[in-house]
Amino acid sequence: MAAYEWIDHKFDVVVVGAGGSGLRAALGCAQAGLKTACITKVFPTRSHTVAAQGGISASLGNMGEDDWRWHMYDTVKGSDWLGDQDAIEYLCRNAPAAVYELEHWGVPFSRTADGKIYQRAFGGMTKNYGEAPIQRTCAAADRTGHAMLHTMYGQSLAHNTEFFIEYFALDLIMDEGSCRGVTAWKLDDGSLHRFQAQLVILATGGYGRAYFSATSAHTCTGDGGGMALRAGLPLQDMEFVQFHPTGIYGAGCLITEGARGEGGYLTNSEGERFMERYAPTVKDLAPRDMVSRAMTMEIREGRGVGPKKDHIFLHLDHLDPKILAERLPGISESAKIFAGVDVTKEPIPVLPTVHYNMGGVPTNFYSEVVTKVGKDPDKVVPGLMAVGEAACVSVHGANRLGSNSLIDLVVFGRSAALRAADTIKAGATQPELKPAMTDPHLARLDRFRNANGGTPTAELRLEMQKAMQEDAAVYRTSEALASGVARMQAVNAKRPDLKVSDRSLVWNSDLMETLELDNLIGQAIVTVVGAGNRTESRGAHAHENYPNRDDKTWMKHTLAWFDDKTGKVKIDYRPVHDYTLTNDIAPIPPKARVY
Amino acid sequence: MSTYRTPLSRARGLGSAKHGVGHWISERVAAVALVPLVLWGAYSVILLAQTDYYGAIHWVAQPLNATLTILLIAVSFMHMVAGLRVVIEDYIHKTLTKAALLMLNVFVGGLAGALAIFSILKVALGGA
Amino acid sequence: MAEFRLPKNSRITNGKHWPAQPGSGKTRTFRIYRYDPDSGENPRWDSYEVDTSQCGPMVLDVLIHIKNTIDPTLTFRRSCREGICGSCAMNIAGRNTLACTHGHAECPGDKVAISPLPHMPVVKDLVPDLTLFYAQYASVEPWLQTETPEPQKEWRQDPKDREKLDGLYECILCACCSTSCPSYWWNPEKYLGPAALLHAYRWIIDSRDEATGHRLDELEDPFKLYRCHTIMNCAQVCPKGLNPAKAIAEVKKMLVDRVV
Repeated sequence: MAAYEWIDHKFDVVVVGAGGSGLRAALGCAQAGLKTACITKVFPTRSHTVAAQGGISASLGNMGEDDWRWHMYDTVKGSDWLGDQDAIEYLCRNAPAAVYELEHWGVPFSRTADGKIYQRAFGGMTKNYGEAPIQRTCAAADRTGHAMLHTMYGQSLAHNTEFFIEYFALDLIMDEGSCRGVTAWKLDDGSLHRFQAQLVILATGGYGRAYFSATSAHTCTGDGGGMALRAGLPLQDMEFVQFHPTGIYGAGCLITEGARGEGGYLTNSEGERFMERYAPTVKDLAPRDMVSRAMTMEIREGRGVGPKKDHIFLHLDHLDPKILAERLPGISESAKIFAGVDVTKEPIPVLPTVHYNMGGVPTNFYSEVVTKVGKDPDKVVPGLMAVGEAACVSVHGANRLGSNSLIDLVVFGRSAALRAADTIKAGATQPELKPAMTDPHLARLDRFRNANGGTPTAELRLEMQKAMQEDAAVYRTSEALASGVARMQAVNAKRPDLKVSDRSLVWNSDLMETLELDNLIGQAIVTVVGAGNRTESRGAHAHENYPNRDDKTWMKHTLAWFDDKTGKVKIDYRPVHDYTLTNDIAPIPPKARVY
Repeated sequence: MSTYRTPLSRARGLGSAKHGVGHWISERVAAVALVPLVLWGAYSVILLAQTDYYGAIHWVAQPLNATLTILLIAVSFMHMVAGLRVVIEDYIHKTLTKAALLMLNVFVGGLAGALAIFSILKVALGGA
Repeated sequence: MAEFRLPKNSRITNGKHWPAQPGSGKTRTFRIYRYDPDSGENPRWDSYEVDTSQCGPMVLDVLIHIKNTIDPTLTFRRSCREGICGSCAMNIAGRNTLACTHGHAECPGDKVAISPLPHMPVVKDLVPDLTLFYAQYASVEPWLQTETPEPQKEWRQDPKDREKLDGLYECILCACCSTSCPSYWWNPEKYLGPAALLHAYRWIIDSRDEATGHRLDELEDPFKLYRCHTIMNCAQVCPKGLNPAKAIAEVKKMLVDRVV
């Protein structure tokens, strides 16, 4: 192995990732007087939060009466009762304050006539416990994520947060079950860095790129999840992968649910507004899992549109062009560029597209990472937190409601920072790092850097993406999932045969994509294995051989460990928290999920 | 080179000079003033082309013509000096060269302008 | 002093030609700027014959196709592939733009030349060093500044005031504008460039901000602001259709407003 040298850094907190949750956590920690570093593989405003469009949910009540309890009810129901109700209460109660904080930082929210934050309707958001759709999603036109991310980056500059930009995180530094820091590779000069910290916060986002067609950016490779798996930690509820109903057919780019929130609707080849059949009360504003299933069903039954009858139309052409220009300018532009469609005149061709991972690194509502040890399902992993899409708190359970992820980012980013301020002391002494803790990181880097097998990274990645796309789709069957497991194991077996062509350490994107693929493979495997294991249908996991929800057996979180050497997956469970945080709201008991 | 300076230190540089709007306004005012002056000047040149030497001297001796000609020359030179200053600042980065050229710009412009104005006065006030 | 030729170590040589793979249909040649900092060699133009029927419609699709199937060492930044993250800004067929929203069929000419954003230090291939650009952005203090105690709820903002932010807040910091501006090429260290100035104006014009005078003070400078000579390349190339030149003109107007 070539000689590598670490450049050492010591911080109180190291945040990995600079999307919405990472920036919020880093900002909070810095404000609390903790010496904080934020490591990111892309410049902060290029993180995938930037692509969030529709908005951020909070019961501000700017468009009529609202209550955080209604928001909580919707979120629990949206999660198909797999969400932890204590965490959901924490989310919904703290949502309004979090949105006001963003506004005070300067987010350019759209406004109502009386100057308040404009809110729009979104799927699954209802008033008075499911009665009718409500306008709860705070929006900055259809560029809410962009507006938030840029504003939060500006705030971090105001507070002198220390960024390490274009540093690719390699692995967690683990010491007998505790996390002591993280190692990273600096792309622009090829140097290797060892960040020691009392606390590492993973804010690395989802792993949408495990699939062939995803709204996710190329960089959404779930590097935090991959690092957690290699550190011997489990991931939770990975079988729940959200398909967004309206990805542009072909390109896969996102068309916000806000398009339907503003009055858009879906039609099949007969011109029928078919959602009226599937969700009579909320129609096109049903939660994403239901709309995606309905669309898939229509296509399967021969009512898809287009020459191949393989997609669906989203109509906005009945809306006032002025409203489109004011509230949906971004998607109007995307539809033009990627589908050649003028939204004021023609419908947009759309297809359910992989969008969000409900699963992730399990945490409690303080954002501390937990694992199961013996009988204890809530054993905190010292020195490690996770926030945002990388985490599974779990507020989204089996299906996330649109606009609940942006609020998740800021509420739990903040909670992580508050917990950090409570639990660690600025400048406290840290145990010395031993070479044995980081030698495997170097070995892995060196192995891939010099990988000289017969399978180029792009080839193996495509094989994985095809397997996931075909076998872990909107609808799943025992047969498809078994095939998915076999195909993913075959992919895993080819890892030693990978070929990397660039041997440099400076901006070697061939190597970086290989490390990312390595992170993806473990997560893809626990996803299909978890899906095959869960013999029920719940939220985004629609199992055709087991079409019903089975609360008796399956109202529990899946935990999955991945053995990097053998490729074997170990499965265990954690109970769902069916209790709330305070007496302000009673637990919401499971019932049939109809809209 | 300044590779070890922090990027923010480079971006902030010497800080804001907190002036510049005056220069910007004077350039615009001069430009606006030149529109009628140049039109008048062009008209006058056509007019003068039809007369002889003595006719031209007689023309310059008229108070309005003399005043407007002086203004045209003065504003043109001011405008030119101001414009060349920006060009020098744009392209010349060595402090000494830049300072020398900026001074030269003022001196040459000033000298040429003063000479022109003196000549007009001389004609206007009494004979070639 | 302005230089008229590239420094010796920046002059571009002719590199490798990658012929079309056997069995390809109609191909198009892409000439791509390559620079490997490890090699100590000058940058070069590599040319790739690509069967464009095998990849998507955008230039980014071509680049990814080359990386995946022809030459994995080709290096470029990319992320969202839908024109919102600003990673894949580069110079395509002589024009700064985003590779992900620029169709290869739109590129004029026979061969398509692709190079990094002009006048920036190159780290590798199509990856420029944007450190100074980011620092200039930071130097305009891109955050809301208020002294009045914050209200319990949101700061109210009239929809008409909010409308003034349209055409400004959408900037994605891709740097297409600044790196297409000759004035920025000549004075990158002293002129803030169109992107940073657009952001400066975005906060100046925000009705909630209370630091307008301070912001204007910091901009009033013969170089930071007044190096803009309304060349308008910024507005020409902005892949989001924004007009930084207009924002700069508005700042200049405000500076006049406060003295007359």
